[in-house]
Formats: sequence, structure tokens, C-alpha cells
Amino acid sequence: MAYLRRILPALLFALLIAGANAQKHTVDYSGMGLEPGQQGGTMTLALGAAPPTFMYYADLGSDSKLVIQHIFDSLVEFDLETYEIVPGLAESWEISDDGTTYTFHLREGVTWHDGEPFTAEDVVFTYNEIIRNPEARAGDVAQFQFTVDGEQQEVEITAVDDMTVEMVLPAPSAAFLLQQRFPIMPKHKLLDFTVEGGAEASAINDAWPTDVDPSEVVGTGPFRLAQWVPGQMAVLERNDNFWKVDSAGTQLPYLDRLEYVIATGTEAQTAQFLAGNVDQLNITGAQFPDFKSREVQGADFVVVSSDALFGSPPHLAFNFDAEDPELAQLFGNHEFRRAMEHAVDRQRIIEDVYNGLAQLPGTPTAPADGTFYEDTTDLLNPFDLEAAAAALDELGVVDTDSDGIRNLPGGGNFEFTLTYGNDSQEFTDIATILQNDFEQIGVRANLQGIQAANLLSTGLAGDFEAIIVALGNQPDPELRKPIWQPGGSLYYWHRSTQGEDGANFDAMADWEERIWEIFDRGTVEMDSDARRELYAEWQRLNAEYAPVIMIAKQQNIAAVYDHVNNFVYSLGVIPGYNPTALFWVSE
Amino acid sequence: MLLYAVRRILAIIPTLLLVSAISFVIIQMQPGSFMDRYLEDPRMSPETVERINAQLGLDKSPAEQYVRWLGGIITRGDLGYSFYSNRPVVRVVGEAFGWTVLLGVITLLFTWIVAIPLGIITALRRNGITDFIASFIGYIGLAIPDFLLALLLVALVLQSGGTQVGGLFSPQFIAAPWSFAKVLDFLGHIWIPVLAVGTAGVATIMRQMRANLLDVLNADYVRTARGKGLQERKVINRHAVRNAINPLVSMAGLSLPEIINGTMIVSIVLSLPTLGPALYDSLLAKDQYVAMTVLLLASLLLMIGNLLADLSLAALDPRVRYE
Repeated sequence: MAYLRRILPALLFALLIAGANAQKHTVDYSGMGLEPGQQGGTMTLALGAAPPTFMYYADLGSDSKLVIQHIFDSLVEFDLETYEIVPGLAESWEISDDGTTYTFHLREGVTWHDGEPFTAEDVVFTYNEIIRNPEARAGDVAQFQFTVDGEQQEVEITAVDDMTVEMVLPAPSAAFLLQQRFPIMPKHKLLDFTVEGGAEASAINDAWPTDVDPSEVVGTGPFRLAQWVPGQMAVLERNDNFWKVDSAGTQLPYLDRLEYVIATGTEAQTAQFLAGNVDQLNITGAQFPDFKSREVQGADFVVVSSDALFGSPPHLAFNFDAEDPELAQLFGNHEFRRAMEHAVDRQRIIEDVYNGLAQLPGTPTAPADGTFYEDTTDLLNPFDLEAAAAALDELGVVDTDSDGIRNLPGGGNFEFTLTYGNDSQEFTDIATILQNDFEQIGVRANLQGIQAANLLSTGLAGDFEAIIVALGNQPDPELRKPIWQPGGSLYYWHRSTQGEDGANFDAMADWEERIWEIFDRGTVEMDSDARRELYAEWQRLNAEYAPVIMIAKQQNIAAVYDHVNNFVYSLGVIPGYNPTALFWVSE
Repeated sequence: MLLYAVRRILAIIPTLLLVSAISFVIIQMQPGSFMDRYLEDPRMSPETVERINAQLGLDKSPAEQYVRWLGGIITRGDLGYSFYSNRPVVRVVGEAFGWTVLLGVITLLFTWIVAIPLGIITALRRNGITDFIASFIGYIGLAIPDFLLALLLVALVLQSGGTQVGGLFSPQFIAAPWSFAKVLDFLGHIWIPVLAVGTAGVATIMRQMRANLLDVLNADYVRTARGKGLQERKVINRHAVRNAINPLVSMAGLSLPEIINGTMIVSIVLSLPTLGPALYDSLLAKDQYVAMTVLLLASLLLMIGNLLADLSLAALDPRVRYE
């Protein structure tokens, strides 16, 4: 009896723990080679610039989100291995047969970092008061607005009960579930910054500035904000009540502390890594030889690389609407672009610029995308300067005055400016290689370097003749619709397809109209095979008509110290793709 | 004298106005706007861009933006709002101000404490080996841009197996409370920016001091002092150096803005939490009011330094009189 009395508290405690953990979600990535780990330890990572705010929906940049992503969870997440959608804060969901009603059943027993219970109220609040607030800087109103029969209609989001959220769509939307990777915010902390709480709509942007008391910033995620040292470091500490456990039943995350130390620029981050102050660093193909040789010489870190789904493959674009009418006519002709594709030495770029850590690009879906990638490499024009020259001859662009530079039909030299990012080694090298090869076939490209960060805005302003831009891949083409659908807001190489209200079909070539239709169908088509086939056709059209010339798809490369285990590459901030809870450090 | 000081202080106001207007114009002339960098974001609809522009007052004409900002300063002492950080500029700049001043002051002290004695020694041992070495190092310091020197020093530390590369502290000390170990760690980091920024200043001031002292050493009153049979040490310290150092007072005043400006580029390279990265980020992000505030602060310091130099010169040198 006395014995029982002695062990009873321990037993009860064990039961309590088991009871608490029984509700928790078990994650198992043994398929990726991840093993159950040990709790404890600190991991330090580099952050390129001080985060401007801790309010996820108030900042469009990624510096703040690198830190914030660990504090919050979303309804659904990506499977780290397959990129499929798996349960997050929503334990399960149903989609009605007509594809318009989504019912999310929330996970029981999840609490905010301050102990308050997580409920459907928080979800509805986050969606209706923050994400759909048109004045939240990083909100996403458009995601919840549908145009049905020319009329704008809204998604209805309501709490059915404490643990159930219902979203009713005006029309089916194939990628809707995939989009629900929005971090869920605590209503009890943020109500005062929303319209529902009596504030102005823009007030949400002022919530949680970086000098806020860290204990105010509560989420449900694996880590909670512990401290922010201005301009120097963000400190996150483990959330002991996180809702995930590993396959051995160990509470996740493993790490006690996750630190982000500010180190601006590649040199500073490399120095901090080599000095051992930072435990892991994402690097580029250009840095690979240096890091790899150190590894081979016995440094206590490894360089790992893997095929990437996310990440931005560069492309060469010609401005269909170039100011010079002769150039515009030529650039808008797909035979010209296909001819120039022959002069793009992808293999050399892969070897020289990326040190072999890249592959032939999709058009434009990433080859690592198991669902949507259509292998179009046979359709790409291989590097062949003679073929390029012959095709240009065919187009009537020949050197009439024997000065080594081809002439336009109007008689002028065929030359154009090639805009690239001169603060990026990658872009600079690619631009130089292109310029040299173009020169060989009598085409003069005058390089114009600008800041890489301004490339897209320069493209969107139509202020270029040819340009090298890199735009990110996503797991579903629907997410990249504004880029690739003719007339889309980011379809910058052919801006005349962008009409006042929607697309301007008069400016589109036949193949562009077909691509427009594909994307229009893809949005509402619910059958996944049919969608795959639609987007496969789009990729073949892209290969055949080369709206832009895709150059190469880089691999993910990272350098990781040996004491970090279970490392999974993650490219900055991909909502719903956060492997950090699984990292652990050995002594 | 007092009247002169008051007049000079009042003259600061129109100058600052002019400076602010010019910097505003230059910032406006930068291509693009605050919202540009986010355009690729699939969530940014044109309506959202418009709303945010309106929210930030960017839909107004540049002239109106400027007048409103200026009005805020005059009527409420409000330096504006940081678009990028979603909080008042004062808080953004305030966070970095302390470290900036500390680093700037340490660098200035280093510069002067090293440069003045070096200047004296090289003047006294003119064309000797000390003179040669100090001048050589000085010229190198002048010739190498400070950020490059900082990078070289970091590479050197890395090569020799050190870990204190960049930042003010090692990661384990950043969030820790102050302790003896933390101070040591701070000293282990701070010498890189101080040396990188200070070397050029040392060279300038050393050369100036050397030249002044050489001039004075040939002056009649020094010969007289020597002729009176004064000890050489007294001749140098009491007569020569005192007179030679006068012109440096105005240099000291002019170096006041160096407290803010001097360490800017090095701070970016070394990721120091000073106003340097704040200004750089704000210029890149077109966070205009932060950039304006930092620029105004620097010009204000320049003018105050100028004034202080003139006043102290008057106090030190009886020949200088202001009407």
C-alpha cells in the first residue's frame, strides 16, 4: 500500500502525459531518412536583415516571416517529402461534391503559447478580420473573391461550432485547399487591432511591432518568441505544448532554442558560418566549390544538395511590346525566340554558373514537381549556333552591311539592351555568357545592369528590350496564374495582353488565347487528372512557343554542421513547409 | 560672442530646411516606389497596392508629402512613420542611435588618441624610421576603403581560427545580460570596425599634426624659448604643441558627424546594429522618412560640430574674435 502511494503520483503523472500526448499528432518522416531525435540544444541561423515587424500579415518581405513562421500554424501544411497537403490545425476536412463547401474539423487540445485554448473563433477571426482585410499589407483579399457570371462574390467563412469551420465558395476552385496555409492568429490578442474590435482597418499593420513585449506575440507553433535584440538577434524558445510528437512519442520540437543572428550579405553570412557561429546556411551553386573543398579537407560540416521544387529559375524574356516597332515585331514572333533559344547555352550555364548543381528547366514547372511537371526537354532547342544563325537568316535578319552585326529589315543594326541584375553573380555570369554567344551569331546585346530586386518592376513597367528575370515555382500552376496566364498582372513580356478589365484578347496570339483558356479552366476544374492534362498542354505550348526562354533550374544547396541532425532544406519562407521542429542537435 | 552664437544657431534652421528639401527631392528621384519590391507576390492585387499607397500617403504628390512631413515635425515633433517597420521613425532611429554613438565615439577617441602623439613623434623624429613607418601605414589606411579593410580583417580573423567575425557580440552573448565575459566578447568584436574606420582618420590627423608642429618648431618664439634655456620637453609641450594643435580644433568639430556617418558602411558590412544598416535598408526599401531623418540628423551634427569648433577656437585662441 505504501509502495502504491509512493508510485501513484508518478503513475498518474505518466497517465496524464500519455493522455496529453495521445491527442497529439504523430509525424513520421522515416521515408526521408529522418530519425527520432533528442530534445535540447540551441540552433543558430543567419537572418539577412532585421525583421520590420512580428505581425505576419503586416509585412510583405521575407525577413520577418523567416522568424514568424515558427510561431504560428496553418489549417493545412505541406508534406515535407511529397509536397502533398496534410492536416495542420485542421485535423480533417470534407469537401462537398459540388466543390463549394469546405468543412474543417479543428484539432482538439491545441493551446496558444499563453495557455488560452485554440478554437474555431480564432480561425474565423484570422480569415475575416485579418487575411481578408484589404488594408492588411500582407493580407490576401483576392483569394476569397470570385467572379461568377460577371459578378463579384465572396467566400463565406463561419464557425459551425467551437471546433468546426465552414467555408462556402461561390464557385468551385481547384487550388483552394492548397491555399489554406495561412498562419492562424490569436483573436484574444489581436481583437483590438481589427475592425471587429473597433479599430480602423489599417490598424492591423501596427500590431506587434518589433519593440512589442515578446510575450504578446502568441501562436500555436513549435516555437514562441522569447526575445528580440534590435538589429542583432531574435530568440525563439520551444513550445512545450506543441501539438506534434515524433514516431517515438517524443514531444516536438526537439530544439530548446532557435536563434536568428543578423548577418547581412553573403560574405557576412559565410564568415559567421565558417566561424561556427551559425549552424546552417543555404548557399548557391557559385559558393559550392569553396564550401565543398572545405568539407573535403575535413571541416566538420557537410554540403548537401537536392532537386528543388521551390526556388526561382531564371529566364530570358524579350519584350513583345518593345518601344522600337521593328524589335517589337521580331520579339513577338515565336520563330525568332525559338531561334534565339538555339543560342542559349544551357549546358554551359549549368556547368559554369551553377557548378553542375542545376538541371534543364521545366517550361516552367519544376522537374521536382511530381504532380504537374511535364517533361518538355525534347521540345527545347539545344545549343546550336549554326541553327540559330540559319533561323535568323530565314527571318530576314541578315548582315547586309558586312560589319559583323545582323541588320533589321529596316536596315539598322540588330542590337538590343539586355537588362540583368548586376548585384547577383548568377545573373551577371548568365548575361555575359548570353552576350558572348549572341555576338557569335551577329546579334549584339548591350548589357545593362540594375539591382536584382528591381528586375521585376522594370519588367512590369515594360522598360526593357530583353531581360533576365527569375520567378518562383510553386506546387500548383494555379498559384502562378498571374505570371503565366496571358493578360495576367505579371505577364510582363507581353503587356498589351493586359486589358483595362481583364485580358485583352485582341493582342493575343492563338497559342496565348489557348493558354488563357487553360488557366481559366484549371481554376475551376476539380478533377485532378483533367487538371494535370490541362497544365501539361500549357507546358508543351510554352516549350513550343517560348513566351520566355527558360534557362535552368537550380538545386537546393545548404551547408550544415555535423552536429545538426534531421536537416531538411527549406527555402526561406514557404508557408506550410517548415521542417525546423524536426531538427535536433547532438552534443 | 553670445549674439554670434545665437545667430549661428538660428542659421541652422533654414540650412536644415534646405538640406531636407534637397534630400527629399533626391529620394523622390530614385526610380520605383516602396511597393515595387512586393509586386511579384501573388497576393498583391492592384487594389491592395492602391490601398496601401493611400494608407501611407504615397498617393499624394511629392510636394504634398514633403509639406505634410515637415508640418508633422514642426507642429508635433513627429518625424514621420516608417513604412517598412510600421512604427514611428523615432523608435526605429532611436533603437540604433545608442550603438551608433558609442561606436562613433570609441572610433573618434581611438583616432585622436593615436593620431596626435603619432603626429608629434613623427614631427620630432622627422624623416626617421618611426616617421617612415607611421606615414606608410597611414597612407595605406587612407588608400584602402574602410569596408574593404573591415572585410580583410574579418578574413584574417577567420584564417587564424577566430570566431569573432562581424556583429558586436558572439551569438551566445547577444541576448545575455551584461557580464565580464560579455564585455570581453564586445572588445573582441569592436576592434575591427574601430580599426577599419579609424585608420584613415588617424592618417589624416597625424599628417596635419605633423605639418603644424613642423611649422611651429621653426617659429621665432620656439627658438626664443630654446634660447632662454628652457628644457626641450617644456618647449615642445608648453609652446610648440599648444600652438600646433589649434587648427586641429576646427577639424575636431567637423568630425562630429563622423559619429553617425563614419561607421555607416562598415556597419553594413559587419552587420552592426547602428544607423548605417537602417539608412541603407530605408534607401533600398524607399522608406523615405527614415532616410530623411537620418540624413537630417547627420547634417544637424555637422552644423553643431562646426559651431562648436568655431566657438572653442575663439575660446582657445585670443586672436580669433567674432563680431
